[in-house]
Amino acid sequence: ATACLARSGSAGGLAEWVLVELQGEVEPRQSGGLAGSLLGDLHYTREGVPVLIVGHHILYGKVVQLEKPFAVLVKQGAEEPGPAGLDTCYTIAALIKTKLLFKTRPKPIITNVPKKV
Amino acid sequence: GAMRNRAEVDATLQTAKVNPAELLPVVHCLSFGPQAAAGECCLLQLEPGLCAEIEAGCSLVIRGEKDEQAVLCSKDKTYDMKIADTSNMLLFVPGCKTPEQLNADQESCNIIHSQIAGFSNNYWELRRCRPKLKKLRKLLMEDPYEGPDSRKDQASTFSKYTTEDLLSLIQASEEEILHHLQVIDACKIEGYWRILEFDYEMKLLNHVIQLIDSESWSLKKVPLRTCLEELGSLEPTAMIEHILLSYGRKYFDDAGEVYFEMHEDKICRAIAQMLLQNAVKFNLSEFQEVWQQSVPEGMTTGLDQLKGLALVDRSSRPETIFLLKVEDLPEGNQERFNSLFSIREKWTELDITPYIQDLCAEKQTVGALLTKYARSSMQNGVKVYNSRRPIS
Repeated sequence: ATACLARSGSAGGLAEWVLVELQGEVEPRQSGGLAGSLLGDLHYTREGVPVLIVGHHILYGKVVQLEKPFAVLVKQGAEEPGPAGLDTCYTIAALIKTKLLFKTRPKPIITNVPKKV
Repeated sequence: GAMRNRAEVDATLQTAKVNPAELLPVVHCLSFGPQAAAGECCLLQLEPGLCAEIEAGCSLVIRGEKDEQAVLCSKDKTYDMKIADTSNMLLFVPGCKTPEQLNADQESCNIIHSQIAGFSNNYWELRRCRPKLKKLRKLLMEDPYEGPDSRKDQASTFSKYTTEDLLSLIQASEEEILHHLQVIDACKIEGYWRILEFDYEMKLLNHVIQLIDSESWSLKKVPLRTCLEELGSLEPTAMIEHILLSYGRKYFDDAGEVYFEMHEDKICRAIAQMLLQNAVKFNLSEFQEVWQQSVPEGMTTGLDQLKGLALVDRSSRPETIFLLKVEDLPEGNQERFNSLFSIREKWTELDITPYIQDLCAEKQTVGALLTKYARSSMQNGVKVYNSRRPIS
Protein backbone atom coordinates (compact mmCIF):
# COMPACT_ATOMS: atom_id res chain seq x y z
CA ALA A 1 0.00 0.00 0.00
CA THR A 2 1.26 3.46 -0.77
CA ALA A 3 0.31 6.86 0.46
CA CYS A 4 1.51 9.68 -1.69
CA LEU A 5 2.61 12.98 -0.16
CA ALA A 6 2.33 15.53 -2.87
CA ARG A 7 2.95 19.22 -2.63
CA SER A 8 0.00 21.54 -2.79
CA GLY A 9 -0.51 22.53 -6.39
CA SER A 10 -0.03 26.25 -5.74
CA ALA A 11 2.06 27.98 -8.37
CA GLY A 12 4.11 29.97 -5.92
CA GLY A 13 6.40 28.63 -3.25
CA LEU A 14 5.15 26.40 -0.45
CA ALA A 15 3.39 28.37 2.32
CA GLU A 16 5.19 28.82 5.59
CA TRP A 17 3.16 28.55 8.76
CA VAL A 18 4.14 29.04 12.37
CA LEU A 19 3.81 26.60 15.26
CA VAL A 20 2.47 27.88 18.56
CA GLU A 21 3.37 25.54 21.40
CA LEU A 22 1.36 25.79 24.59
CA GLN A 23 1.19 23.80 27.77
CA GLY A 24 -1.99 21.96 28.56
CA GLU A 25 -4.96 21.19 26.40
CA VAL A 26 -7.19 23.13 24.12
CA GLU A 27 -10.80 23.17 25.21
CA PRO A 28 -13.70 25.10 23.81
CA ARG A 29 -14.93 27.78 26.11
CA GLN A 30 -18.41 27.75 24.70
CA SER A 31 -20.48 24.65 24.24
CA GLY A 32 -20.63 25.28 20.51
CA GLY A 33 -17.23 23.72 19.90
CA LEU A 34 -13.94 25.06 18.77
CA ALA A 35 -14.58 26.25 15.24
CA GLY A 36 -14.62 30.02 15.03
CA SER A 37 -13.91 30.59 18.72
CA LEU A 38 -11.18 32.97 19.77
CA LEU A 39 -7.96 31.73 21.30
CA GLY A 40 -6.41 35.05 22.18
CA ASP A 41 -4.27 38.00 21.15
CA LEU A 42 -0.67 37.49 20.15
CA HIS A 43 1.67 40.46 20.59
CA TYR A 44 5.41 40.88 20.35
CA THR A 45 7.47 43.20 22.52
CA ARG A 46 9.86 45.54 20.79
CA GLU A 47 12.60 43.06 21.71
CA GLY A 48 10.73 40.35 19.79
CA VAL A 49 9.37 38.42 22.78
CA PRO A 50 5.97 36.89 21.95
CA VAL A 51 3.20 37.71 24.43
CA LEU A 52 -0.05 35.75 24.31
CA ILE A 53 -3.17 36.86 26.15
CA VAL A 54 -5.56 33.90 26.46
CA GLY A 55 -8.70 34.50 28.46
CA HIS A 56 -7.56 35.67 31.84
CA HIS A 57 -3.99 34.58 31.39
CA ILE A 58 -0.93 36.23 30.00
CA LEU A 59 1.92 34.11 28.68
CA TYR A 60 5.43 35.09 27.70
CA GLY A 61 7.29 32.95 25.22
CA LYS A 62 10.18 32.90 22.81
CA VAL A 63 10.71 32.57 19.08
CA VAL A 64 12.54 29.36 18.23
CA GLN A 65 14.01 28.51 14.83
CA LEU A 66 13.38 24.80 14.40
CA GLU A 67 16.43 22.63 13.82
CA LYS A 68 14.16 20.14 12.11
CA PRO A 69 11.35 21.88 10.24
CA PHE A 70 7.89 20.33 10.02
CA ALA A 71 5.72 19.60 7.02
CA VAL A 72 1.99 19.98 7.59
CA LEU A 73 0.13 17.06 6.01
CA VAL A 74 -3.53 17.28 5.13
CA LYS A 75 -5.41 14.08 4.41
CA GLN A 76 -7.35 14.10 1.18
CA GLY A 77 -10.96 12.99 1.29
CA ALA A 78 -10.86 9.77 -0.76
CA GLU A 79 -11.91 6.65 1.15
CA GLU A 80 -11.81 4.49 -1.96
CA PRO A 81 -8.53 3.72 -3.70
CA GLY A 82 -7.48 6.43 -6.14
CA PRO A 83 -6.66 5.98 -9.83
CA ALA A 84 -3.09 4.85 -9.24
CA GLY A 85 -4.17 2.33 -6.64
CA LEU A 86 -3.09 4.56 -3.77
CA ASP A 87 -4.95 4.00 -0.57
CA THR A 88 -4.49 7.47 0.90
CA CYS A 89 -3.32 10.78 -0.36
CA TYR A 90 -1.92 13.60 1.67
CA THR A 91 -0.89 16.99 0.46
CA ILE A 92 1.91 18.94 2.03
CA ALA A 93 0.02 22.13 2.81
CA ALA A 94 2.87 24.07 4.35
CA LEU A 95 6.27 24.01 5.97
CA ILE A 96 6.92 25.17 9.52
CA LYS A 97 10.38 26.50 10.32
CA THR A 98 9.58 28.64 13.35
CA LYS A 99 7.73 28.05 16.57
CA LEU A 100 6.51 30.31 19.32
CA LEU A 101 7.14 28.41 22.51
CA PHE A 102 5.13 29.36 25.58
CA LYS A 103 6.55 27.34 28.40
CA THR A 104 6.25 29.77 31.30
CA ARG A 105 3.32 29.36 33.61
CA PRO A 106 0.54 31.69 32.57
CA LYS A 107 0.15 34.70 34.78
CA PRO A 108 -3.47 35.20 35.72
CA ILE A 109 -4.97 38.58 34.91
CA ILE A 110 -6.82 39.93 37.88
CA THR A 111 -9.71 41.92 36.52
CA ASN A 112 -11.85 42.80 39.46
CA VAL A 113 -10.67 43.22 42.99
CA PRO A 114 -13.75 43.62 45.13
CA LYS A 115 -13.53 46.62 47.44
CA LYS A 116 -13.60 45.90 51.11
CA VAL A 117 -16.79 46.94 52.60
CA GLY B 1 -18.99 35.93 16.20
CA ALA B 2 -17.69 39.23 14.91
CA MET B 3 -13.95 39.67 14.57
CA ARG B 4 -12.13 41.50 17.28
CA ASN B 5 -11.32 45.13 16.61
CA ARG B 6 -8.46 47.32 17.75
CA ALA B 7 -10.46 48.88 20.56
CA GLU B 8 -11.15 45.47 22.06
CA VAL B 9 -7.50 44.48 21.76
CA ASP B 10 -6.39 47.69 23.46
CA ALA B 11 -8.94 47.19 26.23
CA THR B 12 -7.55 43.72 26.90
CA LEU B 13 -4.03 45.12 27.02
CA GLN B 14 -5.12 47.68 29.55
CA THR B 15 -6.82 45.06 31.72
CA ALA B 16 -3.69 42.93 31.52
CA LYS B 17 -1.64 45.96 32.54
CA VAL B 18 0.64 45.59 29.49
CA ASN B 19 2.13 48.84 28.23
CA PRO B 20 1.38 49.16 24.51
CA ALA B 21 4.48 51.28 24.10
CA GLU B 22 6.60 48.22 24.80
CA LEU B 23 4.95 46.26 22.01
CA LEU B 24 5.21 46.18 18.25
CA PRO B 25 2.13 47.81 16.77
CA VAL B 26 0.76 44.68 15.04
CA VAL B 27 -1.41 42.18 16.93
CA HIS B 28 -2.44 38.70 15.71
CA CYS B 29 -5.95 37.80 16.84
CA LEU B 30 -5.89 34.01 16.91
CA SER B 31 -9.08 32.05 16.48
CA PHE B 32 -9.84 28.48 15.52
CA GLY B 33 -10.55 27.92 11.85
CA PRO B 34 -13.63 26.02 10.72
CA GLN B 35 -11.76 22.72 10.26
CA ALA B 36 -9.34 23.09 13.15
CA ALA B 37 -10.82 20.34 15.29
CA ALA B 38 -11.43 17.95 12.40
CA GLY B 39 -8.02 16.36 12.90
CA GLU B 40 -7.18 16.18 9.22
CA CYS B 41 -3.85 17.95 9.59
CA CYS B 42 -0.84 16.29 11.09
CA LEU B 43 2.81 17.18 11.50
CA LEU B 44 5.78 15.42 9.94
CA GLN B 45 9.20 16.28 11.33
CA LEU B 46 11.71 16.56 8.49
CA GLU B 47 15.23 15.20 8.43
CA PRO B 48 17.97 17.40 6.91
CA GLY B 49 17.71 17.54 3.17
CA LEU B 50 14.03 16.58 3.03
CA CYS B 51 12.91 20.17 3.56
CA ALA B 52 15.00 21.33 0.61
CA GLU B 53 13.68 18.45 -1.51
CA ILE B 54 10.08 19.36 -0.74
CA GLU B 55 10.74 23.02 -1.53
CA ALA B 56 12.25 21.94 -4.84
CA GLY B 57 8.98 20.22 -5.67
CA CYS B 58 9.83 16.57 -4.99
CA SER B 59 7.10 14.27 -3.75
CA LEU B 60 7.47 11.88 -0.89
CA VAL B 61 5.82 8.49 -0.58
CA ILE B 62 4.74 6.48 2.43
CA ARG B 63 4.95 2.73 1.83
CA GLY B 64 3.84 -0.23 3.87
CA GLU B 65 1.40 -3.11 3.90
CA LYS B 66 -0.84 -3.66 6.91
CA ASP B 67 1.66 -6.03 8.50
CA GLU B 68 4.63 -3.74 7.93
CA GLN B 69 5.83 -0.65 9.81
CA ALA B 70 5.33 2.32 7.53
CA VAL B 71 8.36 3.96 5.93
CA LEU B 72 8.69 7.27 4.15
CA CYS B 73 10.63 7.37 0.90
CA SER B 74 12.17 10.32 -0.89
CA LYS B 75 13.65 9.90 -4.33
CA ASP B 76 16.69 8.07 -2.98
CA LYS B 77 16.36 7.48 0.77
CA THR B 78 14.18 5.50 3.16
CA TYR B 79 13.07 6.53 6.67
CA ASP B 80 11.34 4.70 9.51
CA MET B 81 8.26 6.56 10.79
CA LYS B 82 7.32 6.75 14.43
CA ILE B 83 4.80 8.82 16.36
CA ALA B 84 6.36 11.09 18.95
CA ASP B 85 4.16 12.41 21.71
CA THR B 86 4.65 15.77 23.31
CA SER B 87 3.13 16.89 26.56
CA ASN B 88 2.39 20.24 24.98
CA MET B 89 -0.22 21.39 22.50
CA LEU B 90 1.01 22.34 19.06
CA LEU B 91 -1.13 24.78 17.08
CA PHE B 92 -0.47 25.31 13.38
CA VAL B 93 -1.06 28.89 12.32
CA PRO B 94 -1.03 30.06 8.70
CA GLY B 95 -0.25 33.67 8.00
CA CYS B 96 1.37 34.29 11.37
CA LYS B 97 4.36 36.60 11.18
CA THR B 98 7.51 36.61 13.25
CA PRO B 99 8.96 39.81 14.77
CA GLU B 100 11.58 39.96 11.99
CA GLN B 101 8.93 39.79 9.32
CA LEU B 102 6.85 42.48 11.05
CA ASN B 103 9.82 44.79 11.37
CA ALA B 104 10.65 44.33 7.73
CA ASP B 105 7.07 44.93 6.65
CA GLN B 106 6.22 48.40 5.49
CA GLU B 107 2.49 47.75 5.88
CA SER B 108 0.54 49.97 8.17
CA CYS B 109 -2.13 47.51 9.26
CA ASN B 110 -2.16 46.72 12.91
CA ILE B 111 -4.46 43.71 13.23
CA ILE B 112 -3.92 40.34 11.56
CA HIS B 113 -6.75 37.87 11.99
CA SER B 114 -5.09 34.46 11.95
CA GLN B 115 -7.07 31.25 11.86
CA ILE B 116 -5.57 28.22 13.55
CA ALA B 117 -5.69 25.46 10.92
CA GLY B 118 -5.25 22.57 13.31
CA PHE B 119 -3.62 21.34 16.46
CA SER B 120 -1.99 18.21 17.76
CA ASN B 121 -0.08 16.79 20.69
CA ASN B 122 2.00 14.45 18.56
CA TYR B 123 3.92 14.37 15.30
CA TRP B 124 5.60 11.88 12.95
CA GLU B 125 9.29 11.47 13.58
CA LEU B 126 11.62 10.15 10.86
CA ARG B 127 14.79 8.14 11.18
CA ARG B 128 16.92 7.20 8.17
CA CYS B 129 16.97 3.44 7.80
CA ARG B 130 18.27 0.74 5.51
CA PRO B 131 15.89 0.16 2.62
CA LYS B 132 13.95 -3.04 3.14
CA LEU B 133 15.17 -4.89 0.07
CA LYS B 134 15.09 -8.54 1.11
CA LYS B 135 11.47 -8.69 -0.03
CA LEU B 136 12.58 -7.59 -3.49
CA ARG B 137 14.69 -10.68 -4.02
CA LYS B 138 12.00 -12.85 -2.40
CA LEU B 139 9.38 -11.60 -4.88
CA LEU B 140 11.62 -12.17 -7.88
CA MET B 141 12.54 -15.63 -6.63
CA GLU B 142 8.85 -16.64 -6.72
CA ASP B 143 9.24 -17.22 -10.42
CA PRO B 144 12.87 -17.25 -11.59
CA TYR B 145 13.42 -17.21 -15.32
CA GLU B 146 14.44 -20.63 -16.58
CA GLY B 147 14.97 -19.77 -20.20
CA PRO B 148 12.75 -19.52 -23.28
CA ASP B 149 12.27 -23.26 -23.51
CA SER B 150 10.73 -23.51 -20.08
CA ARG B 151 7.06 -24.27 -20.39
CA LYS B 152 6.48 -22.62 -17.03
CA ASP B 153 6.76 -19.15 -18.50
CA GLN B 154 3.72 -19.42 -20.72
CA ALA B 155 1.61 -19.61 -17.58
CA SER B 156 0.04 -16.60 -15.92
CA THR B 157 1.84 -13.40 -15.10
CA PHE B 158 0.80 -13.89 -11.49
CA SER B 159 4.22 -13.83 -9.84
CA LYS B 160 5.75 -11.34 -12.23
CA TYR B 161 6.49 -7.77 -11.28
CA THR B 162 6.88 -4.56 -13.23
CA THR B 163 8.80 -1.57 -11.89
CA GLU B 164 5.51 -0.01 -10.74
CA ASP B 165 4.54 -3.22 -8.92
CA LEU B 166 7.86 -3.24 -7.10
CA LEU B 167 7.56 0.44 -6.19
CA SER B 168 4.25 -0.20 -4.50
CA LEU B 169 5.34 -3.37 -2.68
CA ILE B 170 8.90 -2.65 -1.55
CA GLN B 171 9.64 -0.35 1.36
CA ALA B 172 12.47 1.55 -0.28
CA SER B 173 13.01 4.59 -2.45
CA GLU B 174 12.93 4.23 -6.23
CA GLU B 175 16.66 4.78 -6.57
CA GLU B 176 17.45 2.19 -3.89
CA ILE B 177 15.16 -0.32 -5.62
CA LEU B 178 16.65 0.23 -9.09
CA HIS B 179 20.17 0.03 -7.68
CA HIS B 180 19.42 -3.24 -5.92
CA LEU B 181 17.93 -4.74 -9.07
CA GLN B 182 21.29 -4.09 -10.69
CA VAL B 183 23.20 -5.57 -7.75
CA ILE B 184 21.24 -8.82 -7.91
CA ASP B 185 21.64 -9.00 -11.73
CA ALA B 186 17.92 -8.80 -12.39
CA CYS B 187 16.85 -8.14 -15.96
CA LYS B 188 13.67 -7.01 -17.64
CA ILE B 189 11.97 -9.62 -19.79
CA GLU B 190 8.78 -8.54 -21.56
CA GLY B 191 8.41 -5.65 -19.13
CA TYR B 192 8.79 -7.76 -15.99
CA TRP B 193 11.82 -7.82 -13.70
CA ARG B 194 13.23 -11.34 -13.52
CA ILE B 195 16.04 -13.13 -11.75
CA LEU B 196 17.62 -15.98 -13.65
CA GLU B 197 17.25 -19.43 -12.19
CA PHE B 198 20.74 -20.45 -11.08
CA ASP B 199 21.10 -23.50 -13.32
CA TYR B 200 20.04 -21.48 -16.35
CA GLU B 201 22.44 -18.73 -15.40
CA MET B 202 25.27 -21.27 -15.20
CA LYS B 203 24.24 -22.71 -18.54
CA LEU B 204 24.57 -19.26 -20.13
CA LEU B 205 27.86 -18.58 -18.38
CA ASN B 206 29.19 -21.91 -19.53
CA HIS B 207 28.38 -21.12 -23.17
CA VAL B 208 30.42 -17.93 -22.87
CA ILE B 209 33.31 -19.62 -21.08
CA GLN B 210 33.46 -22.40 -23.69
CA LEU B 211 33.46 -19.83 -26.47
CA ILE B 212 36.22 -17.80 -24.83
CA ASP B 213 38.24 -20.99 -24.57
CA SER B 214 37.64 -22.20 -28.13
CA GLU B 215 38.40 -18.75 -29.57
CA SER B 216 41.40 -18.30 -27.28
CA TRP B 217 40.25 -14.80 -26.37
CA SER B 218 41.84 -12.85 -23.60
CA LEU B 219 39.55 -12.72 -20.59
CA LYS B 220 39.96 -8.96 -20.73
CA LYS B 221 38.73 -8.64 -24.27
CA VAL B 222 35.61 -10.64 -25.04
CA PRO B 223 33.80 -9.26 -28.10
CA LEU B 224 30.02 -8.85 -27.81
CA ARG B 225 29.37 -9.11 -31.51
CA THR B 226 31.02 -12.49 -31.93
CA CYS B 227 29.35 -13.87 -28.81
CA LEU B 228 25.95 -12.96 -30.19
CA GLU B 229 26.78 -14.42 -33.57
CA GLU B 230 28.15 -17.69 -32.24
CA LEU B 231 25.74 -18.23 -29.39
CA GLY B 232 22.62 -16.61 -30.82
CA SER B 233 21.39 -19.92 -32.14
CA LEU B 234 21.59 -21.52 -28.70
CA GLU B 235 20.08 -18.81 -26.50
CA PRO B 236 18.19 -15.52 -26.85
CA THR B 237 20.63 -12.71 -27.67
CA ALA B 238 19.22 -10.63 -24.81
CA MET B 239 20.22 -13.39 -22.42
CA ILE B 240 23.73 -13.66 -23.86
CA GLU B 241 24.20 -9.94 -23.48
CA HIS B 242 22.74 -10.09 -19.96
CA ILE B 243 25.18 -12.76 -18.81
CA LEU B 244 28.09 -10.78 -20.23
CA LEU B 245 26.88 -7.66 -18.40
CA SER B 246 26.45 -9.64 -15.18
CA TYR B 247 29.88 -11.22 -15.24
CA GLY B 248 31.91 -8.64 -17.07
CA ARG B 249 32.67 -4.97 -17.37
CA LYS B 250 31.46 -3.45 -20.62
CA TYR B 251 33.74 -1.11 -22.56
CA PHE B 252 34.32 0.26 -26.06
CA ASP B 253 37.49 0.02 -28.08
CA ASP B 254 38.73 2.86 -30.31
CA ALA B 255 36.59 1.62 -33.17
CA GLY B 256 33.48 1.72 -30.99
CA GLU B 257 33.18 -2.05 -30.75
CA VAL B 258 31.75 -3.48 -27.52
CA TYR B 259 33.98 -5.70 -25.38
CA PHE B 260 33.80 -7.20 -21.95
CA GLU B 261 36.50 -7.57 -19.32
CA MET B 262 35.38 -10.65 -17.42
CA HIS B 263 35.14 -10.51 -13.61
CA GLU B 264 37.47 -13.28 -12.47
CA ASP B 265 36.24 -13.18 -8.86
CA LYS B 266 32.57 -13.27 -9.78
CA ILE B 267 33.00 -16.19 -12.18
CA CYS B 268 35.03 -18.21 -9.67
CA ARG B 269 32.42 -17.46 -7.02
CA ALA B 270 29.54 -18.64 -9.22
CA ILE B 271 31.35 -21.87 -10.01
CA ALA B 272 31.99 -22.42 -6.31
CA GLN B 273 28.28 -22.00 -5.62
CA MET B 274 27.50 -24.50 -8.33
CA LEU B 275 29.83 -27.03 -6.68
CA LEU B 276 28.80 -26.35 -3.08
CA GLN B 277 25.05 -26.50 -3.58
CA ASN B 278 25.18 -30.21 -4.23
CA ALA B 279 25.90 -31.33 -0.68
CA VAL B 280 25.61 -30.19 2.92
CA LYS B 281 29.37 -29.74 3.27
CA PHE B 282 32.63 -30.64 1.60
CA ASN B 283 36.13 -31.63 2.55
CA LEU B 284 37.91 -28.29 2.20
CA SER B 285 41.05 -29.40 0.40
CA GLU B 286 39.13 -31.63 -2.01
CA PHE B 287 36.78 -28.78 -2.75
CA GLN B 288 39.64 -26.34 -3.41
CA GLU B 289 41.22 -28.77 -5.86
CA VAL B 290 38.03 -29.42 -7.82
CA TRP B 291 37.17 -25.75 -7.77
CA GLN B 292 40.46 -24.64 -9.28
CA GLN B 293 40.11 -27.27 -11.99
CA SER B 294 36.58 -26.09 -12.80
CA VAL B 295 37.29 -22.43 -13.47
CA PRO B 296 38.42 -21.07 -16.87
CA GLU B 297 42.04 -21.31 -17.83
CA GLY B 298 43.96 -18.33 -16.50
CA MET B 299 41.71 -17.74 -13.48
CA THR B 300 42.87 -18.31 -9.91
CA THR B 301 40.51 -19.35 -7.14
CA GLY B 302 40.82 -18.13 -3.55
CA LEU B 303 38.68 -18.41 -0.43
CA ASP B 304 38.46 -14.61 -0.26
CA GLN B 305 36.17 -14.83 -3.28
CA LEU B 306 33.61 -16.70 -1.20
CA LYS B 307 32.85 -14.10 1.48
CA GLY B 308 29.15 -14.10 2.30
CA LEU B 309 28.65 -17.23 0.20
CA ALA B 310 30.41 -20.03 2.04
CA LEU B 311 31.84 -20.69 5.49
CA VAL B 312 34.96 -22.68 6.34
CA ASP B 313 34.99 -24.82 9.47
CA ARG B 314 38.57 -24.95 10.65
CA SER B 315 37.72 -26.77 13.86
CA SER B 316 36.55 -29.96 12.19
CA ARG B 317 38.99 -32.71 11.11
CA PRO B 318 39.30 -32.67 8.17
CA GLU B 319 38.48 -29.00 7.62
CA THR B 320 35.21 -28.51 5.78
CA ILE B 321 33.37 -25.85 3.81
CA PHE B 322 29.65 -25.35 3.31
CA LEU B 323 27.30 -22.99 1.52
CA LEU B 324 25.94 -20.12 3.63
CA LYS B 325 24.49 -17.24 1.64
CA VAL B 326 24.05 -13.91 3.41
CA GLU B 327 20.96 -13.16 1.31
CA ASP B 328 19.24 -16.21 2.83
CA LEU B 329 19.64 -14.84 6.35
CA PRO B 330 17.11 -12.64 8.21
CA GLU B 331 17.02 -8.91 7.48
CA GLY B 332 16.53 -7.58 11.01
CA ASN B 333 19.63 -7.03 13.14
CA GLN B 334 18.68 -9.15 16.16
CA GLU B 335 17.23 -11.92 14.00
CA ARG B 336 20.39 -11.97 11.86
CA PHE B 337 22.65 -12.34 14.88
CA ASN B 338 20.39 -15.01 16.40
CA SER B 339 20.56 -16.92 13.16
CA LEU B 340 24.36 -16.66 12.90
CA PHE B 341 24.89 -17.74 16.50
CA SER B 342 22.65 -20.74 16.05
CA ILE B 343 24.79 -21.79 13.08
CA ARG B 344 28.04 -21.31 14.96
CA GLU B 345 28.46 -20.50 18.64
CA LYS B 346 31.63 -18.41 18.41
CA TRP B 347 32.78 -16.29 15.49
CA THR B 348 35.93 -14.39 14.72
CA GLU B 349 35.45 -10.86 13.38
CA LEU B 350 36.97 -11.96 10.08
CA ASP B 351 34.44 -14.76 9.60
CA ILE B 352 31.37 -12.85 10.74
CA THR B 353 31.99 -9.55 8.94
CA PRO B 354 30.71 -10.62 5.49
CA TYR B 355 27.50 -11.79 7.17
CA ILE B 356 26.75 -8.55 9.01
CA GLN B 357 28.31 -5.91 6.76
CA ASP B 358 25.00 -5.16 5.09
CA LEU B 359 23.37 -4.38 8.44
CA CYS B 360 25.51 -1.30 8.98
CA ALA B 361 23.50 1.91 8.93
CA GLU B 362 24.96 5.08 7.43
CA LYS B 363 28.26 5.69 9.23
CA GLN B 364 27.89 2.60 11.43
CA THR B 365 30.79 0.14 11.64
CA VAL B 366 30.86 -3.64 11.98
CA GLY B 367 32.63 -3.10 15.31
CA ALA B 368 29.72 -1.05 16.60
CA LEU B 369 27.27 -3.78 15.60
CA LEU B 370 29.36 -6.42 17.35
CA THR B 371 29.51 -4.32 20.50
CA LYS B 372 25.76 -4.02 20.51
CA TYR B 373 24.67 -7.52 19.56
CA ALA B 374 27.48 -9.80 20.70
CA ARG B 375 29.75 -10.50 23.61
CA SER B 376 33.47 -10.98 23.07
CA SER B 377 35.91 -13.34 24.74
CA MET B 378 39.34 -14.82 24.03
CA GLN B 379 39.73 -18.33 22.71
CA ASN B 380 43.20 -19.74 22.07
CA GLY B 381 44.59 -16.24 21.92
CA VAL B 382 42.03 -15.15 19.33
CA LYS B 383 39.15 -12.75 19.99
CA VAL B 384 35.80 -14.40 19.32
CA TYR B 385 32.19 -13.23 19.52
CA ASN B 386 29.21 -15.11 20.85
CA SER B 387 25.60 -14.39 21.61
CA ARG B 388 24.59 -12.05 24.42
CA ARG B 389 21.68 -14.26 25.27
CA PRO B 390 21.16 -18.04 25.49
CA ILE B 391 20.23 -19.51 22.13
CA SER B 392 17.43 -22.07 22.32
